[in-house]
Amino acid sequence: MSVEAEILAWMREPLWGSDDERFDALARALFAQQFERCPPYRGFCERRGRTPQSIASWREIPPVPTGAFKEVALRCFPAERTVHTFRTSGTSTQVRGELHLDTLEFYEASLLPSFARFLLPDLAEARILVLAPSPSEVGDSSLSHMFAVAIRELGSQGSGFFVEQGELQLDALRRAADTQEPLLVCGTAFAFVHLLDSAVKLELPPSARVMETGGFKGRSRTLQRTELYLALEGQLGVPVERIVNQYGMTELASQFHDSVLLEPGGPRRKLGPPWTRVRLVDPENDEECEEGTIVVYDLANTGSVLAVRTADLARRVAGGFEVLGREPGAEARGCSIAADELLG
Amino acid sequence: MTPARTAPTPAEIRERLAALRRESGGLQLEAVARVLDGWSQAGSPWRARLERELPAATGFSPAVVREGLELALAGWSGDALRELAELEMPGGQREGDSGVAGVLLAGSLPMPSILSLLAPLATGRAVLAKCASRDPVTPHVVARSLRDTAPELAARLQVVDFRGDDAERVAALCEADIVVATGADETVARVRGRRVLRHGHGLSVAALGPEACPAAELALDVALWDQLGCLSPVAVYAQDADAVAEALAKALEQLETRLPRGSVDAHAATLARNERDEAELRGVPVHTGNTWTVVCERDARPRPAPLHRFVRVHPASGVDALAAALAPLAPHLAGVALAGFGPETPRAVDAAIGLGASRVCPPGRLQAPPLAWPRDGIGVLSSQTRPASIEITY
Repeated sequence: MSVEAEILAWMREPLWGSDDERFDALARALFAQQFERCPPYRGFCERRGRTPQSIASWREIPPVPTGAFKEVALRCFPAERTVHTFRTSGTSTQVRGELHLDTLEFYEASLLPSFARFLLPDLAEARILVLAPSPSEVGDSSLSHMFAVAIRELGSQGSGFFVEQGELQLDALRRAADTQEPLLVCGTAFAFVHLLDSAVKLELPPSARVMETGGFKGRSRTLQRTELYLALEGQLGVPVERIVNQYGMTELASQFHDSVLLEPGGPRRKLGPPWTRVRLVDPENDEECEEGTIVVYDLANTGSVLAVRTADLARRVAGGFEVLGREPGAEARGCSIAADELLG
Repeated sequence: MTPARTAPTPAEIRERLAALRRESGGLQLEAVARVLDGWSQAGSPWRARLERELPAATGFSPAVVREGLELALAGWSGDALRELAELEMPGGQREGDSGVAGVLLAGSLPMPSILSLLAPLATGRAVLAKCASRDPVTPHVVARSLRDTAPELAARLQVVDFRGDDAERVAALCEADIVVATGADETVARVRGRRVLRHGHGLSVAALGPEACPAAELALDVALWDQLGCLSPVAVYAQDADAVAEALAKALEQLETRLPRGSVDAHAATLARNERDEAELRGVPVHTGNTWTVVCERDARPRPAPLHRFVRVHPASGVDALAAALAPLAPHLAGVALAGFGPETPRAVDAAIGLGASRVCPPGRLQAPPLAWPRDGIGVLSSQTRPASIEITY
């Protein structure tokens, strides 16, 4: 059985068990394949003296920084076999990161069980209302693709996208939300800020839950996450403990979610599927620590690189992690005042 | 010790503005000249205090604070202020301005803060200043130096401390007669006031003509203030980028002992690490030490600047290539260190100034701007005075 087939088989198992031995074996096998098939990555690893033969554990697989996806085509297959390319958000003048895929199978096989487990642990399906544009509008958005797959596989009738040409479709949203069916409202954090600014009050059923993802600073106005959640509770009637943040990025096929719906009453922290691992490391020496840079190892990244070093920081919390802030990027920086929040 | 932080209410800020307004008026050049003479002396007690307190408050190493202050303050004398006044306010016939300057400080470097406080005072204004979150020390030391050297000005400077995202308090402070706002572009753009002088973020570069490779001087420009000042070079443009990168790496290595880098927060360290790894993945030469990185780029495209002694060396041959390379940086360009252009030097200087640089100097001097440096093209003293057309003789 190929390493891809083994990974896919794991993703399709109904029960989730954290099998370290299995993860280690598959990660090392996938690393060997990616080392072989992706020349820029091989060079990167060799300069560090890391080869499939030299590493003793998945922890030693060199991670590539997310920024590298803007600069280098990190693909482990011939370019002509690319079936889809997801791009990071940005304006037309900015360089955008690209994740090239030769199949969407792993992407979808990873997202669905996570989506179901962390957002609908008590439900087989729900009306999924998405505050983001549909893939027909933004075909290269991994987020829109994820929502489309979730609607296709887990959404009941009435599910759909409620952002068109950058505008929230408030009337349609109000009508769709007027239901006693189980309801999941999901979208980007800044779309929720727009919803709050619109002052539209939705009467959501008691089982309703919210999933928000992505950053929102500088888009409309900036709210701290707790402030956003309290405002959503006030306007949508969804209690804070039923609001889930999803941590994901274009460069990763798998996502991490807040644990609040899966483990009500437990500490809020991010959890991921068993085919992922997260290390928090000191960025200067790579030592593992309780609070550090998030490095993700994702077996669903079969066609690119499985080990990705993010620009985000987190702290360990009860077997998961809590994101401490997402780095907006350094393009415009040039002196210390750029980082100083004069007005917040 | 620095006084405990106080957070006056918006109403109290308005009361302070009113009280300071009553204190203002009359040109105070000589008093501020005395203060500057005090600061520029080798044994200056206020410099000593900054050397003691800034490392803990800002994260800079003591050696960087000591050497950075020494270099920068060497030219900031009373005479320099008088010359500046002659330059920007010729004739000195004005009696000075009254009113209050509301000063919103940012960043962690002491020099811009010192001048942001003293310049309005020299022109007759009183000052109500909000500390930068990352330097709660300098404004209080400046206040102390006024009490010691120019007690007649002591009542004209008040320092307040509140969170930068406290919109109500910021708005109250911006009711001053003139506002000097330093910070990120998007934040200073939001500052509203009767008259606002905005200092957004800036960056500097070095540009080297053929055969010039003043590596030790470049390394000093990079190492002082750990690249956190707008006069810190984040990139070097050179004909032989490989040779310059190698020499700069050696020079930074040598400086590590004399001028150790300060602390770096986790976000900044992550950014630097990611940029370094990303460069390695692209396959360009990367030189690294314990606390510095030099990346030798293959093109002139601007790339992220993680700061904290992370320099990119780009290829650029000749003045035209330099101008093209710097064009994307123009909105933020503060300083250019130039060397090795020979007879092309005037064209290179013109190109730098044409792109918005307000300081052009030899390598090794970026961190020592004269008192008269018109940061962001804004006059130090003239910006504080009320512009007027006077057609009478008196």
